[in-house]
Amino acid sequence: MKAERPKFIGARIQRFEDTRLLSGTARYIDDIVLPNMLHLNFLRAETAHATILDIDTSALADLDFPTWVFTGKDTAGLSMKAHQDVPEMQYSEQPFLAEGKVRFVGEPVAVILAEDPYKAEDAAELVFVDYDPLPVVGTMEQARDPEMPPLFDGWKGNVIVERQMKGGDLAAARAAAAHIITRTYRTQRQAGVPMEGRGVVAHYNPADRVLTVWSSTQMPHLVRTYISEELGLPESRIRVVAPDVGGGFGVKGQVYADEILIAWLAMKTGRPVKWIEDRREHLIASIHARDHEHTLEAYVSADGRLLGLKADITVDNGAYSTYPFTSAGEPGMVGKVLPGPYDFQAYEATFRAVATNKCAIGTYRGVARPSAVFSQERLMDDIAAELGIDPFEFRLKNIIRQFPYKNVLGFTYDEGSYAQSLEQMRELLAEDIAEAEVSKSSATRRVGVGIACFIEQTAHGTPDFTRRRTPIETGYIAARVDMSPDGEITIDLGLQSHGQGLETTMAQVAADALGMKPENVYVRHGDTMTTPYSVGTWGSRGGALGGGAVHIAATRIADKLRTIAAHLLQSKPDQIDLVDGRAQVRDNPGSFIEIKKIARIAQRNVEQMPDGMTPGLEAHASCDGPRDGTYANAVHAAVVEIDILTGKTKLRRFVVIEDCGTMLNPLVVDGQVRGGVVQGIGSAMLEHFIYDSECQPLTTNFADYLMPLAPEIPNIEVHHIETPTPLTPLGAKGLGEGGAIGPAAAIANAVGNALGTGVAETPLNTNAVWKLSQHIRETA
Amino acid sequence: MRPASFEYHRATSLDHALELLHEFGEEGRPIAGGQSLVPMMNFRLARPGHLVDINRLPLGGIEIDGQVLRIGALTRHEAYFNDPLIARHFPAFLDAVHYIGHPTIRRNGSIGGSISHADPTAELPAVAVLHDADIVVRSVQGTRKIKAVEFFLSAYVTAIEPGEMVVALEFPLPPSASTGSFIEQSERSGDFGTASIGITLQFAGGKIGKAAMVCSGADLFPIRAPEIEEFLVGKALADPGAAEAGRIFAASIDPVDDHIASADYRRGLIAELTRRAIEAACTRALDKS
Ligand SMILES: Cc1cc2nc3c(=O)[nH]c(=O)nc-3n(C[C@H](O)[C@H](O)[C@H](O)COP(=O)(O)OP(=O)(O)OC[C@H]3O[C@@H](n4cnc5c(N)ncnc54)[C@H](O)[C@@H]3O)c2cc1C
Repeated sequence: MKAERPKFIGARIQRFEDTRLLSGTARYIDDIVLPNMLHLNFLRAETAHATILDIDTSALADLDFPTWVFTGKDTAGLSMKAHQDVPEMQYSEQPFLAEGKVRFVGEPVAVILAEDPYKAEDAAELVFVDYDPLPVVGTMEQARDPEMPPLFDGWKGNVIVERQMKGGDLAAARAAAAHIITRTYRTQRQAGVPMEGRGVVAHYNPADRVLTVWSSTQMPHLVRTYISEELGLPESRIRVVAPDVGGGFGVKGQVYADEILIAWLAMKTGRPVKWIEDRREHLIASIHARDHEHTLEAYVSADGRLLGLKADITVDNGAYSTYPFTSAGEPGMVGKVLPGPYDFQAYEATFRAVATNKCAIGTYRGVARPSAVFSQERLMDDIAAELGIDPFEFRLKNIIRQFPYKNVLGFTYDEGSYAQSLEQMRELLAEDIAEAEVSKSSATRRVGVGIACFIEQTAHGTPDFTRRRTPIETGYIAARVDMSPDGEITIDLGLQSHGQGLETTMAQVAADALGMKPENVYVRHGDTMTTPYSVGTWGSRGGALGGGAVHIAATRIADKLRTIAAHLLQSKPDQIDLVDGRAQVRDNPGSFIEIKKIARIAQRNVEQMPDGMTPGLEAHASCDGPRDGTYANAVHAAVVEIDILTGKTKLRRFVVIEDCGTMLNPLVVDGQVRGGVVQGIGSAMLEHFIYDSECQPLTTNFADYLMPLAPEIPNIEVHHIETPTPLTPLGAKGLGEGGAIGPAAAIANAVGNALGTGVAETPLNTNAVWKLSQHIRETA
Repeated sequence: MRPASFEYHRATSLDHALELLHEFGEEGRPIAGGQSLVPMMNFRLARPGHLVDINRLPLGGIEIDGQVLRIGALTRHEAYFNDPLIARHFPAFLDAVHYIGHPTIRRNGSIGGSISHADPTAELPAVAVLHDADIVVRSVQGTRKIKAVEFFLSAYVTAIEPGEMVVALEFPLPPSASTGSFIEQSERSGDFGTASIGITLQFAGGKIGKAAMVCSGADLFPIRAPEIEEFLVGKALADPGAAEAGRIFAASIDPVDDHIASADYRRGLIAELTRRAIEAACTRALDKS
């Protein structure tokens, strides 16, 4: 059937949405202004752990403008419930507004509404909360100390969940090992930080009993479902709209208490309510990520074969569990992905999330994998160093080469280009490796080269989420494609696009299936009123599964176009090709009919259709992930130059070789990879969300919480290998997160290579590198 | 992150500005580029009741006035980059301004604002202290000049009194056989420095005559290093003992230990920057002699 070669899939087409995004005509959450609107200001906890004795709002009565104030007493019973359905999990709920206790600095304690956002902020200053401080659980060690008081009533200690995954015979691997290498690695806590923060506007219209909620979210349908369940409204009467979203990166890929609370407030006050998060709120109270410690023990044979791996994983989760991935998601992910691209037969991981008086951990680009790959790839370098083997050599000795490969946990990897990308990277780095070697004799300036080789399970769907037993439950992505009588195409996409270029890539997919141009396709997304139910855009699934859904739906319309064309041209449907706007007979291209003519016939001149055919050119399809997802792979490499006397580390070169199967649009792939790498550079070198010993946050603005800036970023070289997967309709694997996964490991390995020392922790800022190079200064 | 309410006044002349500042006292604040004041107000760390906008006043300009280089308070940071007087007389100054923020900040930020804001590691306060500048301050009562070393009292605290404003800085012109350098390290380009060192030297016959040194990052305001200034006198430009100077100076300071950098690191960094700044200045002196 697929005689025609794709014309647009794989083409470097400039993103259509950029015209809007770059010309100031995009419409973000803060652009939404409704008549009679109230502005919300959160009063947030200033103490990390305390009993609330009293909230005094009496001063508001003296103001010369009206205010509305709500506390946990008003919202009692409303909460976020995010549980993994396993017996080991200790459950907690996050009240919409603190009830009785606060558990982290930034937790909402009250809301103050006023007719002007400035006045709301002024009024919030007049509300006084009397706190009785409780002992703070501030570190992983304290959280695991059974003597410390639990954060929640009825809990035993502060370990939220601890579980195991294993495969093979670890004792045998240990017994057979010539080398046992044990290391502890730490990635520090980070915030997510899209350029646009979060925000919510809600409005209830009693006339048609419809609640409309605009939210800067990656998952409008899930917000709708949660509102319905928590507030008891029918989903049919709730419309959630994600307008243009200025970056999400997973931060906006959870349902937040405030999204439901603001909907509730709009109904309660009878007026539209608006909240726009400020940067401080974003940094202290949206979600955090990457706060991991992993102790790994590797069993290695005398000839450098990895025999087995034992892992102990702790994630400092903060106080609450986020919806829908829960506090079990992050440690579980590490346990699952640590085996990585290497071939070994024995594995055991113990992983836990612990509760502390900090902001909750949620999903942020890469979700646990930047930390897992940091540990995995630091370990590979540390083993290579211990055995005196070249790091490339050691990896190549252990890399998986036969596909499909069933890993030690029973996950099946589809084909990738692991060894090939390692070999290719080694060639690309030859000169840098030589320079690094020469610089080893210098006590003042060192060059280092480091790599990270990893796989990423992408396009996970329902089978994977069912195993997780968390509220995400399902993973299909749906699309509805419609060709109107003039031949123009509309895609209503279950995904929400917040930088992924879906308005372009999905148009490319539909255009190829329908023999039209991407310019003929209008992609709509983000509005639950127009788009089919889906769980949102996150998890490197959009291209592979969203593209799959669009392809399937568009192909159904294409089949109908062919049937009508065959009828009109006296041919057979399987003899009709759809190309360049025409339906033409394959062996006689001179015999054709314009596709837009067929579109008109199918909806206006229906008497010309084959007998009994239903009018219309509309199709709805969904695409779910394969059992184990599909595995994208990549090698990242960093070349650093270190000033030993000041700790200043210059990232001279960053190279990516990635394989995400079929690329829908290489330009978009490059953009996704580069953006992710920049965030990974932040993890590696700068970003650290710091709490003091009382769990007071110290990095609450951009002067203290340091993100990478353009001058620090080298040109990022991106190379592609395409190994299409048989597991998704277009052969595409996911790639949205990969860029962010490798840099921490690659840069740490480069710094370790330069300094001739192990690197145990991120971020490698000037102070950290200066400390790590102490031995060089001392021997100089 | 919205400012508390305030009243805005646009000053139409210097006298008008001074009258307004006099009238509002503690409650009044000049606003120049707004690059520091506006964020402080948004965080509600600054809550002036009245802002006096001085941007329309004729307080810009870099000119020689007798034995001093006079820089008007509203001179924007970007003005120094192509200024021949700065390049000729104040190489350390020119080095330093390259470390200030980013282009938009340099376009708006003013020298009066920078020194009045008195961030502990801002460049222009350090430059003023290094060059023994006079800070010319006016109020309705008249004009007074404050020595830069006496101007900075602590982090964000200066000798300016309510009702006063800075109108200019006066930098004594150095003799021709002199040069200088300024080196800073920050976590990212454009950030306030973790530490910085500025040096000026007068030289003759291959030797250092008079020297001055300033350091930011060792204390809550830029400090001079009299011990090192002494140490450098008479040293050969080709071999000024820079590394030793760095060690001596680092041993004499007690920098803060915080989440940005440890005290140990600051000390080590300051020793190294001291060495580099002295060597850079000496190299320039050798090139000039
Ligand atoms: C992202 C960012 C990065 C920055 N990086 C740097 C950097 O690396 N180095 C650096 O030095 N600075 C940096 N700055 C600050 C910048 O240089 C400011 O411009 C400067 O600190 C203040 O100048 P201004 O004219 O903007 O003053 P304003 O913000 O208008 O005022 C600052 C203070 O000075 C007072 N004031 C202003 N003018 C006068 C006057 N004539 N007399 C008395 N008081 C006055 C105001 O009342 C206020 O208290 C940065 C700023 C930003 C936003």
